Amino acid sequence: MEHLNQLFVEAGTLLVTGMVCVFAFLGLLVIFINTVLAKLAIKFPDAVVQTKPQRPTKQKSYAAKGISPNVVAAITSAVSQYRQQHSQQPNSKK
Amino acid sequence: MDSLTKLWLSTGLANFESGQVIMMVVGCVLLYLAIARNFEPLLLLPMGFGAILTNIPGAGFSEAGGFLYYIYHGGIETGIFPLVIFMGVGAMTDFGALIANPKTLFLGAAAQTGIFATLFGAIALNAVPGIEFTLKDASAIAIIGGADGPTAIFLATKLAPELLGAIAVAAYSYMALVPIIQPPIMRALTTEDERKIEMAQLRPVTKVEKVVFPLAVLLMTIFFLPAATPLVGMFCLGNLMRECGVVDRLSSTVQNELINITTIFLGLGVGSKLSAEAFLNIETLGILALGAVAFSIGTASGVLMAKTMNKFSKVPINPLIGAAGVSAVPMAARVANKVGLEANPHNFLLMHAMGPNVAGVLGSAVAAGILLALVG
Repeated sequence: MEHLNQLFVEAGTLLVTGMVCVFAFLGLLVIFINTVLAKLAIKFPDAVVQTKPQRPTKQKSYAAKGISPNVVAAITSAVSQYRQQHSQQPNSKK
Repeated sequence: MDSLTKLWLSTGLANFESGQVIMMVVGCVLLYLAIARNFEPLLLLPMGFGAILTNIPGAGFSEAGGFLYYIYHGGIETGIFPLVIFMGVGAMTDFGALIANPKTLFLGAAAQTGIFATLFGAIALNAVPGIEFTLKDASAIAIIGGADGPTAIFLATKLAPELLGAIAVAAYSYMALVPIIQPPIMRALTTEDERKIEMAQLRPVTKVEKVVFPLAVLLMTIFFLPAATPLVGMFCLGNLMRECGVVDRLSSTVQNELINITTIFLGLGVGSKLSAEAFLNIETLGILALGAVAFSIGTASGVLMAKTMNKFSKVPINPLIGAAGVSAVPMAARVANKVGLEANPHNFLLMHAMGPNVAGVLGSAVAAGILLALVG
């Protein structure tokens, strides 16, 4: 019985020591995250991945081919007018 | 006639002992739970088969020179298999939810009460005739409350290898039973209004934070709890492989092939410890009962801690996520989410519960380190 009591005392000591250590360890981790990691997050944010705009590339390629921007603008305007006219036709039939 | 007699004596039928038959039935029950009930099938299936193999009379699987003998002594007794699995778990763990809401680490810490409180239960069982648990045995049994299989196996091999079979079976059985054990405790300790609490959306976590986190955890373990470095170190290595983004092949291997191969051998090795003489005794019943107690106390402590934090916190905390503090990743977080959805169909707690869930993995590894340092 005395041996059992001694074991209970040791278990009690383990309970207190163990829980204090677990809380202290994880508590330190909380402090670390709130201080160091939070600062790192501000200082080194994730790089925003930018998608390359399509038009400038096309214009660049037209320019590279020696086509004047005015010609490209005229063709673009003509194509859009043609599309508008043809897209309105079905509606006008109704 | 002599040849026939010799042949008969070499058959399993002539050599079976009742204990071996019972343990084969236990192995079949594990196979049934794995195949028909889908209870932790990845481990219970090889474990159940290992139990059948080790109890074959005359085959000598677990005797010196036998296949399972080498698996156990080479991989489990040395601690290699549980540590490799812990590395894989680290590679599969995303600490994002934890870093976004670090307070949840306290929930993971509170849930470890189940481990230390169960020590009393294990020692109290010494009053039962036929049971004699030392403090080392009690510590190895109590770690079941951490709901972490590799940690339980690692600690059992160090503190009480003779109880490994019963401890591993109890740990994995209760982990599989998380959806049954936890909800009644969670409902009993929370009000309807508390279960309905919706939590604020988590902030995005940067890559730098995720890379630095495992290194910081390792550094702290080296400084304050070196006894836990085998577990925490391998866990952090796996996590760093995942997050650094330069060793995707290694990360993928650790998360898939390596952990799968190791799980097969770990299951077989643990199954080899399910021999009649080691398992069929009153101590096993005690271990199974204590496992349930440890689990329940861990769940209750996590929920109560979350309730307390909710009272004092500026941002609302749903107490249900406290139950995920017992590791059992990701089952415990899913259970918290499910019980939350029952109370409020628009309340998705899964990501919030992943914080305490992975904190529980760290907490149980730290608790194991403390037990090793103080009792081992």
